[in-house]
Amino acid sequence: MNKKILPRIIIDLILFLSVLNGWWFVALPLGLIGAYMYAHFVEIIIAGIIYDSLFGYIPGMGNRAYIGTIVAVVIYGTLSGLKKVVRK
Amino acid sequence: MTYLQANNRSNKRQKRTILVSGIVVLIIAALIFWTPHFFPSIFNTIVRPFWRMEFSLQSGSLRSPTQLLNENENLKQQLADAQVRMQTIQATETENAELKAMLGRASTTPRILAAVLKRPPFSGYDEIIIDAGLDKGFSTTSLVYASGNILIGKVSDVLGETSKVTLFSSPGQKYDVLIGAEHAPAVAVGRGGGQYEAQLSRDVKVVEGDVVVSPSLNDKAFGIVTGVLSDPAQPFETVLFAPPVNVYQLRWVLVNVKGK
Repeated sequence: MNKKILPRIIIDLILFLSVLNGWWFVALPLGLIGAYMYAHFVEIIIAGIIYDSLFGYIPGMGNRAYIGTIVAVVIYGTLSGLKKVVRK
Repeated sequence: MTYLQANNRSNKRQKRTILVSGIVVLIIAALIFWTPHFFPSIFNTIVRPFWRMEFSLQSGSLRSPTQLLNENENLKQQLADAQVRMQTIQATETENAELKAMLGRASTTPRILAAVLKRPPFSGYDEIIIDAGLDKGFSTTSLVYASGNILIGKVSDVLGETSKVTLFSSPGQKYDVLIGAEHAPAVAVGRGGGQYEAQLSRDVKVVEGDVVVSPSLNDKAFGIVTGVLSDPAQPFETVLFAPPVNVYQLRWVLVNVKGK
């Protein structure tokens, strides 16, 4: 097994457990770390969608109801670009 | 030459990745836009058993039999005390209901008890999630009460077996209320965390401990005044109030079911 896979699985598990409990303050730093450390860390976007599905997506709430997904996509996109610049 | 081929292959792979990611994002966005309940239904169905289990554990399912028996005894004693007090309240309530029935204004709205699966501050968006939904006939017009007939919010989204309740104290939420002994009308604005504020003319006398009610025939309790901020330079004063129950500790709520 790739040495990087096990920590990634552990991060994923903690990430999803914290999302299920609504602990965004745990999920956010973990997502940042994961997105910076690993290539194609799409788990952060999935976590964002799950978070909004469970707690957001409320009619009449406007764009605020999609904040989890939006933040996840922004983090994923920004860190993907940033990594390339930093690691050149 | 070899280097160029590898570079071309890498570029192609990168383009394909971007294309696939774009298509996936578009599909997800379309699903969210056209069927807003698609993802919430799936994930709530998966998560609900875990939340129910957490609720049961918090309710003391894993405590020792001795502890449970002791607690049972304590609760029985408290219940006996409460029953005595309840009889007085019930007599008043019965009289109230009879008077309203005589005037043709009896309440016919049934209420259903629901367990609070997730509550602030851990649930996002300052809302609570309850364990009943369409299966119990809830709708987005259903009002939600804490124990003691305290109006705390309304159902904002209904799924199969869960519902999301937006608290009136959520930031930006507004609700008409009557404040103090003079029943001064005002608009309660949510500040989050079970706190409200309202603007009142300085001429209205409001003090800490005054009761805030919702303007209806049944005058539902809404909150207790916790502070009054007054600036001599301003014609208005800011009244701060909170519900008598702590929304962070809610375990059960009652939900109005209309049309049943």
